[in-house]
Amino acid sequence: MNVLIVEDERQLSHEIEIFLTKQGYHCDVAFNGKSASEKIFINSYDFVLMDIGLPDSNGLQLLKEAKEGGKDAAFIMLTARGTIDDKISGLDLGADDYLAKPFSLLELQARMQAILRRKHGLKNNTIQISDFLMDIQNRTVNHGSNQINLTKKEFDILHYMALHKNRVITRVQLTEHIWGDVLEDDYESNYIDVHMKNLRKKLSQYGNSDFIETVRGIGYRLNMS
Amino acid sequence: MKLQLKFALYNALSKAIIILAFGLALPVVIEQVVYNHVDDRLNARLDKMTLMIERGGVNEIALDQDCSFSSYNIFKEEYVAISPLSRMPDDFGKIHINNSERNIENEILKHRVLSQAFIYDNQLYNLEIGEGISSLDHLTDTIREFTLRMMLIIILIFIFLDFGFVQILLRPFRKITSQKLRNIRHPENFVPMPIQTSTTEFIELNQEINEMMKKIQLAFRSEREFITNVSHELLTPVSILRNRIENLMNESGIPNEVLSQLAESQKTLSRLTRVVRAFLYISKIENDQYLKNESVNLHELTIDVISEVEERLEEKQIKLEKNFSGDADFYPCNKSLIHTLIFNIIANAIKYSLPDSKISVTGVESNSSYKISIADEGVGIEEQNIPHIFDRFRRFRPDDTMSFGLGLPIVKTIAEFHGISIEVIGGKARLKGTEFIIGFPKSQ
Repeated sequence: MNVLIVEDERQLSHEIEIFLTKQGYHCDVAFNGKSASEKIFINSYDFVLMDIGLPDSNGLQLLKEAKEGGKDAAFIMLTARGTIDDKISGLDLGADDYLAKPFSLLELQARMQAILRRKHGLKNNTIQISDFLMDIQNRTVNHGSNQINLTKKEFDILHYMALHKNRVITRVQLTEHIWGDVLEDDYESNYIDVHMKNLRKKLSQYGNSDFIETVRGIGYRLNMS
Repeated sequence: MKLQLKFALYNALSKAIIILAFGLALPVVIEQVVYNHVDDRLNARLDKMTLMIERGGVNEIALDQDCSFSSYNIFKEEYVAISPLSRMPDDFGKIHINNSERNIENEILKHRVLSQAFIYDNQLYNLEIGEGISSLDHLTDTIREFTLRMMLIIILIFIFLDFGFVQILLRPFRKITSQKLRNIRHPENFVPMPIQTSTTEFIELNQEINEMMKKIQLAFRSEREFITNVSHELLTPVSILRNRIENLMNESGIPNEVLSQLAESQKTLSRLTRVVRAFLYISKIENDQYLKNESVNLHELTIDVISEVEERLEEKQIKLEKNFSGDADFYPCNKSLIHTLIFNIIANAIKYSLPDSKISVTGVESNSSYKISIADEGVGIEEQNIPHIFDRFRRFRPDDTMSFGLGLPIVKTIAEFHGISIEVIGGKARLKGTEFIIGFPKSQ
């Protein structure tokens, strides 16, 4: 998987590169519009992470050019300006997704995965977690022939944890994934714990749910071989 | 009071004063003129009488036994009288003219009387020549009445004309206030236009307002730019830190204590991000950067919001009772903003609710608005704090460290953007808890 990171803030682009490289992506970076434009047209990328506010050009303009040039890379627009117009025009111009800075790298990875699933229509869209089988396409979780009745949020939590298996996910990361950009007045809410409790209760009615581990003071981890 | 009315009143009052003064002075003047005429006539008759006496003597005028004479014409309007005087007056020879009332044949008549003493044949006489002036009083009254009536009619006509004229005169002023100032909800919508008038003051006023609005527009634009820049400058470093922490946590072999501290730092950054975003959100609404062209069903929206707060209700074992009736469509609006508004009020109600209590969400349609009431049975709010609950960073419980106090300010900003009213009932007005009543105006 080839990714082009277009971001003029070098430290930020470096952090994204470190993370994605570790996940097995091959990363290329561009710090301005000119070099980004060249790279997009010379190379073939699966993903372009495009900062909208570039010093020498606008990310939306580059996106437009690339789409007109027939490039089929998936574009994820990144912005810190927080204007709504950016989001709307980005998606209108054919961007695949949009992330407002600051975003979680785990969220970025989840979005990239979702785009891949959508684009390539993956056939084997299931995840085996212990005795449970998760069907991403149909949003179901089965234990043998029994379907477990999960709410939307419970399913999303389990899916996000499975996506980042064997890694501690903090409450902040989970909260942001589930509630997104909802302007929440509470910053130390532990509402995620309520869902986690219910999720465990539902799973343990059918099998062992010990694979969900509570990491004290931090968050949760889904342990999977 | 309207300027137009003030002008009309001032004009009427000033004219009334002038007319009143005129009306008071007029009878005096008329009287004076008439008396002058009468006096002239009396003097002429005196000359005639003197001539008659000199020629023919007093005896010629047929004195009666008392040595006096009096003669009235048929209407008793004029008379001449000669009567002997017993005593010599101090100012002998001087002519006196007075008004006096005479009882003539049981009729009291007012006369202007000229009197002069004279000596004839060693006898002292007093000569009186009188002319009736009762009819003059009548004339004066008639003129006065007529004048006052005329003046009154003139005043009324002028008030009417003034009112109309001032209305025409003030038309450009009204145009300035209604079209330029009142209808402009946001400075960005203001278009500087010349105004059609020949009144210099209004042209100047219009120019001044145009200038002022241009300055305000500039200020708004630079504020908008400032907000964009600040958010960029603040959120970019936060973004770097945020991702660096995530990468650090991703390293293998990090002890749990360090992980825990990194998670705490992540929480702090998340808090910073939320405060900055909340501020951005508020200023974006205030800066008119949201469109307002959607329609929303408030009942369906409330159902969505309730499903989003299910874990909070569950955590505190709160029972939420929802009861909606009537047509709950609201237009025009920004759906996502209305969602945030209702979300924040319900989230606020849950936050201050006691465990195992109840929250009622009721939607009722009225003539002019759709009203949603959100009432909790929580700790309530002190009466004196109610006016301040929408202030930024205000928290009314010392142990409330869970929030940063921007939830309700956001509500207020969204409400103002849409012309939504919010009433807060708390304190002694309720047995327990707080009630928020949101009034969504019906579009015309």
